[in-house]
Amino acid sequence: MDLTLTAEQEMLVEAARRFLARAWSLADTRAAERDPRGFRPDVWRAMAGLGWQGMALPAASGGGGLGFVETILVLEEMGRALLPSPFLPTAVLCGPLILALGSEAQRRWLPRIAAGEMVATLALVEPGWRDPWGTPALAADGGGRLTGRKLFVPFAPDADLLLVAAAGPSLIALERGAAGVAATRLATLGGDPVYEVVLDGAQGEPLGAPGGAGPALARALDRGAVATLAYMVGAAERALEMTVDHASTRVQFGRPIGSFQAVAHRCADMRTDLDALRHLVYQAAWRLEAPLAVSAALAYGSEALRRIFMHAHQVHGAIGFSTEHDLHLFTRRAKAAELQWGSPARHHERVAQAMGL
Amino acid sequence: MDFAFSEEEERFRAELRAFLSEELPAWWRGMFVDDPRAIAFTRAFCAKLAARGWLTMSWPREWGGQEASVWKQAILREEMWAHDEPRGPQYMNLNYIGPCIMRFGSEAQKRRFLPPMAAGDVLWTQGFSEPGAGSDLAAVATRAEARGDHLVVNGHKLWSSYADAPADWCFLLARTGAGARRHEGLSILLVDMRTPGITVRPIDSMAGPHELNEMFFDEVRVPRDCLLGAEGQGWEIVTTGLTFERVGVARYARAGRVIALLVEHVKAAGLAGDPDVRRKLAELRVRQEVARLLNYRVISLQARGQVPSVETAIARVHNTQLEQRVGHVGLEILGLGGQLTADAPGAPLRGLLHRQWARNVPSTIAAGTLEVQKNIIARRGLGLPRAS
Repeated sequence: MDLTLTAEQEMLVEAARRFLARAWSLADTRAAERDPRGFRPDVWRAMAGLGWQGMALPAASGGGGLGFVETILVLEEMGRALLPSPFLPTAVLCGPLILALGSEAQRRWLPRIAAGEMVATLALVEPGWRDPWGTPALAADGGGRLTGRKLFVPFAPDADLLLVAAAGPSLIALERGAAGVAATRLATLGGDPVYEVVLDGAQGEPLGAPGGAGPALARALDRGAVATLAYMVGAAERALEMTVDHASTRVQFGRPIGSFQAVAHRCADMRTDLDALRHLVYQAAWRLEAPLAVSAALAYGSEALRRIFMHAHQVHGAIGFSTEHDLHLFTRRAKAAELQWGSPARHHERVAQAMGL
Repeated sequence: MDFAFSEEEERFRAELRAFLSEELPAWWRGMFVDDPRAIAFTRAFCAKLAARGWLTMSWPREWGGQEASVWKQAILREEMWAHDEPRGPQYMNLNYIGPCIMRFGSEAQKRRFLPPMAAGDVLWTQGFSEPGAGSDLAAVATRAEARGDHLVVNGHKLWSSYADAPADWCFLLARTGAGARRHEGLSILLVDMRTPGITVRPIDSMAGPHELNEMFFDEVRVPRDCLLGAEGQGWEIVTTGLTFERVGVARYARAGRVIALLVEHVKAAGLAGDPDVRRKLAELRVRQEVARLLNYRVISLQARGQVPSVETAIARVHNTQLEQRVGHVGLEILGLGGQLTADAPGAPLRGLLHRQWARNVPSTIAAGTLEVQKNIIARRGLGLPRAS
């Protein structure tokens, strides 16, 4: 048992923080919200230069052979920078799905992912779903022709590879340029790009056996949820820094407001919640096969993020509500992220089952 | 990063559990239940732990330890707290009194005080709080005045656990001089409780009798060689000791056991299908996981030879509030039956939950209030300014 980072993990975090401090600013995040693409290809290529997209893939696939914990540590830094990128759908969701289910030929996509030459994304959610734990009903004929509608597909028009979850569940891979695929951007709370994808007889190729994607997809959902939460841990850490900075410099009644215990204790509560969340996330990443570890992090995460960001706003006062201030960039994403992994009720129920109830 | 115990550590836990199931009598429900057998039982139990080398296993060999890893010590602590702490008052010797003597004591003091602790044969109490010094501990007014080769103590101490057990020794914070700042003139004295002039008066509490006491010191003569560390070093010693103490209690392990018993209870009572009960138990379990992990962070830092401070405050905030929550929610789940005390026929879980609730009313007060912990986190952890 050792909950501290290894020297290698610390180096990874430092390198990521250094790179992102140079390559990305909150002004870039604002600009990306207005950019139809929503991410920057030059930054994406630089990330590949650092080995990020392939870091969890085996060396034989051009990857770094590291664990999911390392992926989480890098995601935390991306969250701290509020970097929008197709890293999560490409490296966290699609890479491992291809590795688990793909044929020899399909696995040849993996080195391209590792090299930053391929953006991949997952089309999963269907109309009426409240969270990603639904049962795909979209029909695929035996040859991999798809017709139907998918929602909340990140970076869809920029994807070189679209993995579509179909009834079974089965996965069908569509390469860029396939006919019968139309993507429309959805205006959302968070601001990072997600799309409605309408498939009209689009011809893809099955990834794995028909009806055989269930277990790999379930693992991918847990991985994606924990990854999203890890990103928000980094974002919340930055929001805490901004809050402490504000409380230390904003003077009212002749003294910094952080010297009032009522304000200081809100900041202490943020620290206390965030440290709890971070360690739950690390454990979830380390024990991804344990539903209790994963759902404990997700259930606590939803509620902790609400508390943390409401404290951040309360301490910032009126200025934090203004969009001239950067805080809202974090707060909106935290709320949007919370909607990605399902309600605390769902995850508490999963914990209850793991407890033998 | 590694979230698993080693095989050897798991074996040690299994060994401890076997030992506990052998040694714990059916009547054992922990301290403060007004059972006249309790203190004698804890003394005999500690002697058995000592005989196996487990009582002070993390201490250096020269003081009766095995230099076991802090993780083994943590496992021992977890199993003890999960079984109503059969070491009784002596957990304090191991948590902070022994370590403070090891760190600040003279060679002669170590030789005198540590071996009896390692043998499991000595009870200590603490004299910190006073009527005018609670959270503001530096306001202590108890004086220790130098007269020849003695320090003569006069004062009034409050909330001293186990003083009436009776305790053999007292770890006493007293004022020995007038420093420029309030906490400069404080010292720690190791006081033999048989010294004339000490009066102990038990204070009954919501948790039951025989837990807390007040102590009156009237011209109590303490030999100079019972001053721990240097004169004026008391504040440093007491803050170090409290840092040890704050993670020395495996509250999350006790809470974990209560949650497990609640799960068994709701299954037997046909409540396991109730969605509200399921969710409440899951919420407790998640918070227990949080408290456990944050304690493990502190232990991880200790294992690296660091002295965590803000991290212990954060762990304590989670642990104390967890214990309170387990009491409240557990009683809610038991409903009407939850109010039955251990002796009432049909008391669910032998009255465990109302004891859990009552005992933990002060858990966010003792050894530093929740507000004091938050001040530590805000100022020492986040660097927020003090009120000027």
